[in-house]
Amino acid sequence: MNQSNAKKKKFIVLIILLFILTIITFVLSLNLGVVRIAPIDVFKTLLGKGTARDQLVLVDFRLPRMILALLIGAGLAVSGAILQGVTKNELADPGILGINSGAGFMVILFIYFFQGSMNSINTLVIFLMPLFALAGAVLAAFLIYVLAWKKGIDPVRLILVGIGVNSGFGAAIIIFQLKMNPQDFMQAAVWLSGDIWGTNWKFVAILAPLILLLLPFALYKAHILNIMNLGDQVATGLGIQVEKERRLLLLAAVALAGFSVAAGGGIAFLGLVAPHIAKRLIGPKHQLFLPITAVLGAFVLLLADTIGKNLLTPTQIPVGIVVAIFSAPYFIFLLMKAK
Amino acid sequence: MVSLSTENLQIGYGDKTIVENLNLHINKGEITTIIGANGCGKSTILKTLARVHAATSGIVYLDGKMIHKVPTKEIARKMAVLPQSPEAPNGLTVYELISFGRSPHQSGFGRLTDKDRQVIEWALEVTGLSLFADHPVDALSGGQRQRAWIAMAIAQETDLLLLDEPTTYLDMAHQLEILQLLEKLNKEQNRTIVMVIHDLNHASRFSHQMVALCKGNIVKEGSAEEVMTPDVLKTVFQIDAEIVKDPRTKKPVCLCYDLIQKEPELEHRKVMNF
Repeated sequence: MNQSNAKKKKFIVLIILLFILTIITFVLSLNLGVVRIAPIDVFKTLLGKGTARDQLVLVDFRLPRMILALLIGAGLAVSGAILQGVTKNELADPGILGINSGAGFMVILFIYFFQGSMNSINTLVIFLMPLFALAGAVLAAFLIYVLAWKKGIDPVRLILVGIGVNSGFGAAIIIFQLKMNPQDFMQAAVWLSGDIWGTNWKFVAILAPLILLLLPFALYKAHILNIMNLGDQVATGLGIQVEKERRLLLLAAVALAGFSVAAGGGIAFLGLVAPHIAKRLIGPKHQLFLPITAVLGAFVLLLADTIGKNLLTPTQIPVGIVVAIFSAPYFIFLLMKAK
Repeated sequence: MVSLSTENLQIGYGDKTIVENLNLHINKGEITTIIGANGCGKSTILKTLARVHAATSGIVYLDGKMIHKVPTKEIARKMAVLPQSPEAPNGLTVYELISFGRSPHQSGFGRLTDKDRQVIEWALEVTGLSLFADHPVDALSGGQRQRAWIAMAIAQETDLLLLDEPTTYLDMAHQLEILQLLEKLNKEQNRTIVMVIHDLNHASRFSHQMVALCKGNIVKEGSAEEVMTPDVLKTVFQIDAEIVKDPRTKKPVCLCYDLIQKEPELEHRKVMNF
């Protein structure tokens, strides 16, 4: 078919373009920051011939953070894309469904109950907090699924229950936050607005395989997602085990969001906006649409993180806020353009 | 030969029972239409036959096998289902939509084989959509869109086609076009077709068997001549119908009709008892 060939060409061009943009941002982000490092020094350091200071800043601080940003961006974006496909609702994303706030709630509990009794540089904290976040994400997803279950899952009820669970956790977060001391409150607030904080290679080592396994899984399910987009009745008629596939895909989306949120905090909007832009660029076919979403999400988050780090130096703006500042107007634009 | 049948089927939503005890037989190679008033359970029955909605009790047999024991993908190779006003995502092309009809014959990734492409081309041709293959489904007119969905269903290459109100929202000419397409599929390829339809005269003209429903029960089933009678229509729709013979097709048609005035008090009591 002419048109499908044209689409494939467009897809390849887009992917290459996005990769180039990401690489440019990557290089810029390596150079910029509180400590500026010239490109030539970056190059030297990456080859292992830099100064000790450059080595520390680049390899131990900047690189892991940037790689995390890429992973989290791709993870959240694809999670949103899956949720939108499974619920047949363009407004679904991990933030709206309460997965972010579930994770947030557990992190707040963690900070509230354990932070004071622990040394804050304790390495245990660094690894316990994301575990708590993940547990919160799974808890929220479980609650949504159980509450929305009524002889099967109706996508509309799933969303409505998700919104309910979201505000429930939101309220609980406020209750605990108000009882915190100012220092914990600040930490909690930064976490909730989305901040890549576990800038450490161990983190990358844990997160990378998980996300890099789930992304191909989503792509493997692209055909199923295409058909589920036609609605439950048509999908059943075409021989898809709708309920089973939906559960599996929801699980994958929650896992992606959970891992991402565990390392990146409550980054909102990315899971909503990245699939939207990708769909506008390439159309609804998931085989093409999911890879674009993933690369786009990674690029946007890396860009947002670079901006957040450098706009008001030495103060850092949490990456989630940067994403929100740029996405919110785009989203309003989308709503105004919608028929 | 029987293609699809039900045994003591009871269907409901939650606590509400819609169909109490249905024993339906659909003959192979025939067009069967289900008629009835709004809310009488037509669509519910079709959904249950299509395994989209689970029955409370009773059994649906497809080619003699209990439908709930057969893998859903295997059923999809025998029976295609088209729900009422389905929706395609924005930007999906006609070709892509029809290609999904091949999914029961594929494994995993949904890669199209040469055979798949041939069937898709054929479905495009039969439905007169060859020129629109690359058009987005949402940019088509109502009639074209319905034909695209039917093309998807026939690309499934099943003996049996279930359609829920395939002509709703179409103008007179386009309604006829769809029905003639279905008739052609039935005659030339011996496909069994079951559909819910609101236009009685169309039902009469195109079906071998008609099933008239009232409150989930079969009032009358049989040929158009047997079902299109003033008595049956009175029970089913509470109308006083004038039935004549269509001079062109020789089939019974409802020329005109009036509502039968219900006794308001009686009606009220019925509601209370219910």
